[in-house]
Amino acid sequence: MSAWLIAANDWRRHAVQPFAWALAAVVLALMAWQFLVALGAYLQLAPKLGALPNAPGVTDLVAIPLLRSFSNLLLLIVPLLTMRAFAGERQLRTLPLLLAAGAGDTRIVLGKFFGVLPLALALVVLVAAMPLSLASGTSLDLGKLAAATLGMAVYAAALVAIGVACSAWVAQPALAAGLAVAIGGALSVLDLGARFEGIGNSAINWFALPTHLEPFLRGIVASVDIGYFVLICAVALALTVRRLHHLRQVP
Amino acid sequence: MTTPAPVLVLEHAGRSLAGRVIVDALDLTLDKGEVVGLLGVNGAGKSTTLRLIAGVLSPDRGRVRINGCELDEHPALARRAIGYLPEDPPLYAELTVVEYLRFCGRLHGLSGGRLQAALERAIERCDLGEVRRRLTGALSKGYRQRVGIAQAIVHEPDLIVLDEPASGLDPVQALKLRELVRSLGEQHAVVLSTHLLSDVAACCDRVAVLHRGRIRHQGRIHEPGSAGRLRVTLERAVEPADWTGLTGVTAAEPIDPRRWRVQPAAAGGPAAIAAAIVARGWGLTELRSDDIPLEETFLRIASSETIAEADLPVGSASA
Repeated sequence: MSAWLIAANDWRRHAVQPFAWALAAVVLALMAWQFLVALGAYLQLAPKLGALPNAPGVTDLVAIPLLRSFSNLLLLIVPLLTMRAFAGERQLRTLPLLLAAGAGDTRIVLGKFFGVLPLALALVVLVAAMPLSLASGTSLDLGKLAAATLGMAVYAAALVAIGVACSAWVAQPALAAGLAVAIGGALSVLDLGARFEGIGNSAINWFALPTHLEPFLRGIVASVDIGYFVLICAVALALTVRRLHHLRQVP
Repeated sequence: MTTPAPVLVLEHAGRSLAGRVIVDALDLTLDKGEVVGLLGVNGAGKSTTLRLIAGVLSPDRGRVRINGCELDEHPALARRAIGYLPEDPPLYAELTVVEYLRFCGRLHGLSGGRLQAALERAIERCDLGEVRRRLTGALSKGYRQRVGIAQAIVHEPDLIVLDEPASGLDPVQALKLRELVRSLGEQHAVVLSTHLLSDVAACCDRVAVLHRGRIRHQGRIHEPGSAGRLRVTLERAVEPADWTGLTGVTAAEPIDPRRWRVQPAAAGGPAAIAAAIVARGWGLTELRSDDIPLEETFLRIASSETIAEADLPVGSASA
């Protein structure tokens, strides 16, 4: 109950502040522009593609690249949404209200996680809806689009969990955002060297975010990839609970 | 029939931070219907003590019990019985007063009709009716403080913990706040931290003087036998023998040769004493109530450099 209460309070606070709306407007405008550019390029290529056997369709050439590009953008915007989860409370000195209430540390952390997650998911759904709007005029691979959207959703959830953990770890929101960008970025490029060497199935590949996002973007939903993102969420949130407990020991 | 457990028991509680002892050996007991003032200079450890009591900070030694329930063992249950106002009221600037208090009430487990009734009661007690639809971020300091108190009492806790509630308030606001704290003390147990003696004198039944992280003195504000005692300040220095036979005086105790603590006789009162002093030509410059010998106690403790110096033989250790 307390977790939903804290989450609902954060939604309300996000809703009445211009920051989340402005961020969403900028992100959606940017993605809409990318979508229109990709669509224009596709329309120019369409006559040539028609002549090719097994030519990629609008899903492969417009929808999936759009979501892949959005996954990179999420690395930057999710930390901006999560940075105030705990660091903002500490800066405004409102954290004692939550700490002194009957809610336990786990519920507080879950409340903060679910307070930001719907915003990130809303952005994913809105961006995924852009190529979906073509369904009335052309045939889309809806299964692949659904898999990619699901992948983006669990990927966004992992970034939210990392962002919330970073926000609990430092007292300044800007620093929390910077730390979350750094960790998200590091997890994205972790296996870059291995991939340059042509290695794709080593342990370092397994730890990298793109290794588990790419199958979704290819239309493959595997439990191991979902498990990876769930694991990231669980570890990040467990560390946040631990941190909150530590804040009761050393304010 | 068993006696109910005290609302608050601090048993030798202490807390160190970064290897430095912030508070230590804190012993304090508080029952419902009592207001205790935690008095101390800045840095004495008042806020840390209140955070230990409110469950925001864990003690690393000793115990904190709320209604007989150990705070560390049953944190959720114990915290439901606590209302805490930190030094800076924890307000969400983007919420209105009603939205904010509703959130606080729900956070403490209230819902439905109980929540609405508690909300209205807190708004009424803290006199927030005219600002109930205003954003908390747009309120004056006085109203912010009152909203902070409202969030601490909205769930009708047994124990209310107020950290410097009068800080930054103008005299009128401070007066209203004292009345509010006094009225809260009738139905709840209240711990109030302040560095103002006047706050303690006006609101509290008991005082605990904290210095260098330890409680150096505990006592009632109105000690038995002190009722009606007067403080007399003179232009001339006089001797104890000079008071013998003075009309209306049963006992006189020197603070220094020009300042005296005087116990008036049942008949006559201050007017008779003033007249007698003027008649002797001692040069009466001040005659006032001296119900609070606390001032000397506090100043003596606060000015002491060492722990041994601060330990008082009189009234210390227990109330």
